[in-house]
Amino acid sequence: MSAETTMNQPTDRPQKQVGFRRLFGGARTHRSQHTGFLSIAGGLVAWELVGRLVISNSLFLATPTQIAAQIYNLMRSGELFIHMGVSGAEFGIGLIISIILGIALGFLITTNKIANAILGPWISALYATPTVAIAPLIILWFGIGLWSKVFVVIINATFPMIINTEAGLRATDPKLIEAVRCFGASPLQVFWNVMLPSALPYILAGVRLSVGRAIVSVVVGELFGSRAGLGFMITQASEVFNMPRLFAAVVVLALVGVILTAGARYLERVLQPWNK
Amino acid sequence: MSDTLEIRKVSKLFGNLEALRSVDIKMEAGEFISIVGPSGCGKTTLMRIIAGLEEPDAGNVWIGGNKVTAPGPDRGFVFQSDSLLPWRTVWQNAALGLKLNGQLDAEATERVRNMLELTGLAGFESYWPKQLSGGMRQRVNLARALALDPAVLLMDEPFSALDAQTREIMQTELLRIWEVGRKTVLFITHQIDEAIFLSDRVVVLGRRPGRVREVIDVDLPRPRTLAMKRQPEFVAMVDRIWGLIETDVRNSVKEDATNAA
Ligand SMILES: Nc1ncnc2c1ncn2[C@@H]1O[C@H](COP(=O)(O)OP(=O)(O)OP(=O)(O)O)[C@@H](O)[C@H]1O
Ligand SMILES: [Mg+2]
Repeated sequence: MSAETTMNQPTDRPQKQVGFRRLFGGARTHRSQHTGFLSIAGGLVAWELVGRLVISNSLFLATPTQIAAQIYNLMRSGELFIHMGVSGAEFGIGLIISIILGIALGFLITTNKIANAILGPWISALYATPTVAIAPLIILWFGIGLWSKVFVVIINATFPMIINTEAGLRATDPKLIEAVRCFGASPLQVFWNVMLPSALPYILAGVRLSVGRAIVSVVVGELFGSRAGLGFMITQASEVFNMPRLFAAVVVLALVGVILTAGARYLERVLQPWNK
Repeated sequence: MSDTLEIRKVSKLFGNLEALRSVDIKMEAGEFISIVGPSGCGKTTLMRIIAGLEEPDAGNVWIGGNKVTAPGPDRGFVFQSDSLLPWRTVWQNAALGLKLNGQLDAEATERVRNMLELTGLAGFESYWPKQLSGGMRQRVNLARALALDPAVLLMDEPFSALDAQTREIMQTELLRIWEVGRKTVLFITHQIDEAIFLSDRVVVLGRRPGRVREVIDVDLPRPRTLAMKRQPEFVAMVDRIWGLIETDVRNSVKEDATNAA
């Protein structure tokens, strides 16, 4: 059944969603993607030329073609996937714990004054501290296995989640809370129906920040002690001056970062269809 | 369902500001009363007390035989500002009160459907609030309040954000919907002609302290038509009410100006 046919008041047509932003933003995005692509391609060509003609010693620089060949070989032997699997597990477990912990703590300090008084200063201090610097210490404590890296991820990726969750919950329109209370909502119902959806944009932006921090944490954690993983590959390759291998790991990390960030953005759209 | 609403000698203080002094209003079941008064005379405060969001310092409010102590589904609300949840569709918003109270059975679902139809929103169930015009959004608010089948319907300047034409249409729509169910309605407005057009009685509040100055019976026949607004009796009634609140309004504007300076 079409919406238009059942309408009885033509003045109340739903507003078309073709706003200023959509019209112009859309066109610009398309063009800037084009420019971005050219920029990357140009950079790669320049890099290749420098690597071949200026710094031809492969101890100092690997060219894009060498790196591509290296990545291809690593994929064929399956080695790359082993390392990606290890890093991926550390990243995934750490990130999921960070997200859940961050939302829970953000909720706690927003709704509980005492918790806020106790935890607030720590959270602000640790959010601004490059906690990744204590990664060596954590490796020392927890060994070189999976969980030490998971822990490094948690101490780095949880804070943006806490801060964003808190900001989002605090930004909830008090009028909406009051309206829902008038309809007999319990505090828990207010949280699920009003506060959480209202905070969702902030929370998802927090996820995007945490993804970046988690990737850095995994690599740094692996640099200081590990048996496998992309960070381990980097350490290993740099010790023997295998530049193509080192760059291969770095490029894979960069690609994963781009894909995950895009994934987070996609999630932001899918989870909030009302914001289209 | 429709019930009596009794406001018994309600007083409210904010610090040393006397927002309401011994306000006493008794409404029959199915009666439509409007409250008019200058800005700051305590209209919203009174509504919040009836809602159970604010406690009176003296007096109390009774619905049917029950004293109001907290918010509850026996009162349906339509707020001045848009209070639809942006992340719920028209249907989900209209069914919200029932769902929160765990009453969304087959019968209630049917009532939500009826209310959306009655408010001219059939076919828009899956729209987001953002996709609707202001008038439509306010009709969803009305449908949401009615779907609960409350004993009384409380409306705080529900049409103030609408343009003049939409507002007139909404007034007639409201009366049409009200004729179907005959709820007890307490309606706050700044617009004197709106109050008269809709109501059986108009309560005029004064300010500092907020109190009932006069209650005016409107004996225009129902159903009412917009043409009635042009009749001499109607115009005379508007003049009379305006006369009652004019000095108050002037004082409130003057006070706001000195406060701002
Ligand atoms: N929570 C509060 N704390 C202190 N003063 C308040 C509070 N709520 C309302 N007031 C004061 O009480 C008086 C009545 O306010 P209220 O909002 O009920 O007026 P109103 O008649 O609804 O005004 P308007 O027509 O402008 O909406 C005002 O002077 C206001 O400043
Ligand atoms: Mg008000």
